[in-house]
Amino acid sequence: MDMLKGWVARQFTTRVIVLMPVAIAINIVLGYTVQSVLKLPVYVDSIGTILVGCVAGPLPGAITGILSNLIWQYAPGIGAGSQIGPFAITAGVIGLLAGVWGQLGVFRPRRGHGLNIVAAVVAVVLIGALALYTYGRAFSSPEQFSSATFKDTSVFDQSRFFFLAVMVVFVGLVAWALLLRRDIGAVFAISAGLFTGIVAAVLSAPVYAFFYGGLSGSGTDAIVAAFRAGGDSLYQATLKQGLLSDPIDKMITTFVVFFLVGSLSRRFVARFPNGEKIVGPEAEPVTTPEAG
Amino acid sequence: MTVPLPAAAENPSLPQYVIREPSGPYRSLNPATKLSVAALEVVAAFVIPGWLGPGLVIAVVLVTAASSRTLRGLVIIGLAALPLVVSIMVVNLFLLPGAVDPIARIGPLAPTWSGFWFGLLTTARLLAFSSALALAYLTTPVDDLLADMSRRGLGRRGVFVVGAAVQMVPRTIERVGEIMDAQRARGMDTEGRIWRRARGVVPLAGPVVFGALAEVEERTMALESRAFTAPGRQTLLRVPPDRSIDRALRWLALVSVAAIVAVRITGRMG
Repeated sequence: MDMLKGWVARQFTTRVIVLMPVAIAINIVLGYTVQSVLKLPVYVDSIGTILVGCVAGPLPGAITGILSNLIWQYAPGIGAGSQIGPFAITAGVIGLLAGVWGQLGVFRPRRGHGLNIVAAVVAVVLIGALALYTYGRAFSSPEQFSSATFKDTSVFDQSRFFFLAVMVVFVGLVAWALLLRRDIGAVFAISAGLFTGIVAAVLSAPVYAFFYGGLSGSGTDAIVAAFRAGGDSLYQATLKQGLLSDPIDKMITTFVVFFLVGSLSRRFVARFPNGEKIVGPEAEPVTTPEAG
Repeated sequence: MTVPLPAAAENPSLPQYVIREPSGPYRSLNPATKLSVAALEVVAAFVIPGWLGPGLVIAVVLVTAASSRTLRGLVIIGLAALPLVVSIMVVNLFLLPGAVDPIARIGPLAPTWSGFWFGLLTTARLLAFSSALALAYLTTPVDDLLADMSRRGLGRRGVFVVGAAVQMVPRTIERVGEIMDAQRARGMDTEGRIWRRARGVVPLAGPVVFGALAEVEERTMALESRAFTAPGRQTLLRVPPDRSIDRALRWLALVSVAAIVAVRITGRMG
């Protein structure tokens, strides 16, 4: 019991308490800007949640996610009157998962040495298998694919198509991260994002279907409409839409958070409860080549 | 001669302490009571099947809003949900699976009556749900809500997180506007093709997050030096009244929620 109390208390230092409202404001305002001003078909409303989860732990992450959605719904003057409240459950789980990743040290920058490379390959294979399984189950009939995209079924089986789309984004982000930072930690962070996205999609689908008739008023509605045209039930259509949008969204978000945390000063990050698990190794001392 | 003070809605530029607090039977309820009633309305809108639930809730909310003079604010919030409503109506009108009662045939498109009614019902539920919460928000200052929650045992950490978040959002909106302008001046594309717009996410998110985090350190020290983590309870200077009618309404809301859910589960409702 005392251990549990200690575990909880360690996650809620004053610094974390101060970070949480900042993160909530970031979630709401960035989410609104990306969806309504940049008009991108992703949500980007969980950067703050994943940041708090990553540096502070699962509980502050979950609370930040839940409160972001509740405050956004309750005080609609501070967004576009968004109808996001019921997704508090999903947001809470996203924060919880981010906290677990943070405590496991997933967001730590790593150098590409032997053991790290093996671990990264294992992580990619595992997450790839999970994604393949989920997509194989959700998108099972080629006829639906044909009617949803007006393409010939002989070209693609739709589960492969959507799996491919998500994997292309995954590989693209990982390649970009490796190119920018030369850091194999990005592979772990983006894999964690893909896992979080799949969980978020599975959790969001019933909320969408129950509260909104499957629609959100944003660009992703076109995808839902296409699946409905293909004869899917409401729940199937929203799940399939979520499985396309959510993993891509969460991979982008974790990618951004990974870079942000990596760019913050080590001293700042280290003061948070998970700090020691996510600060990278010290920069190697510059060695001057010896003459002769 | 006394000069009548303007109401808050008429003069948003005035600070709150010079504005006459609007009053009325609904406004003077305790914040917790308003939230309990809103929760009952949300449950009623979604759990009572058919048109009865959402219809009843919308009627009650409209009457309450009219009597507490918040109809205008409610309409503005309702209008913000318009893209969602349009989307729900269009997709259901044309694409409800299994619908076979066309209104008319326009080339390949065949809007159906069942799609129309399903879309309308979903919209009614959504509006009932959001307007019930919006009404509580429009008639309750956030300070009152926090003071009441604090009296009911929410610790100062919880009060700080919610209160600071609500205050921080408008400031962050301003900051994001400034950052967008600055990045546009440096060539960020916010209106081009999707890939060009997508490249703006990191230049936008980076400065927003770093700027906000820069304050965290200072605020932490400011709170620590003011005994934020001290044990014991805070003394509240102003507490919203909690009358017997509030307690009665809260009990009524709780019993009603339980009754609606119980009747629905036992299958005696539609």
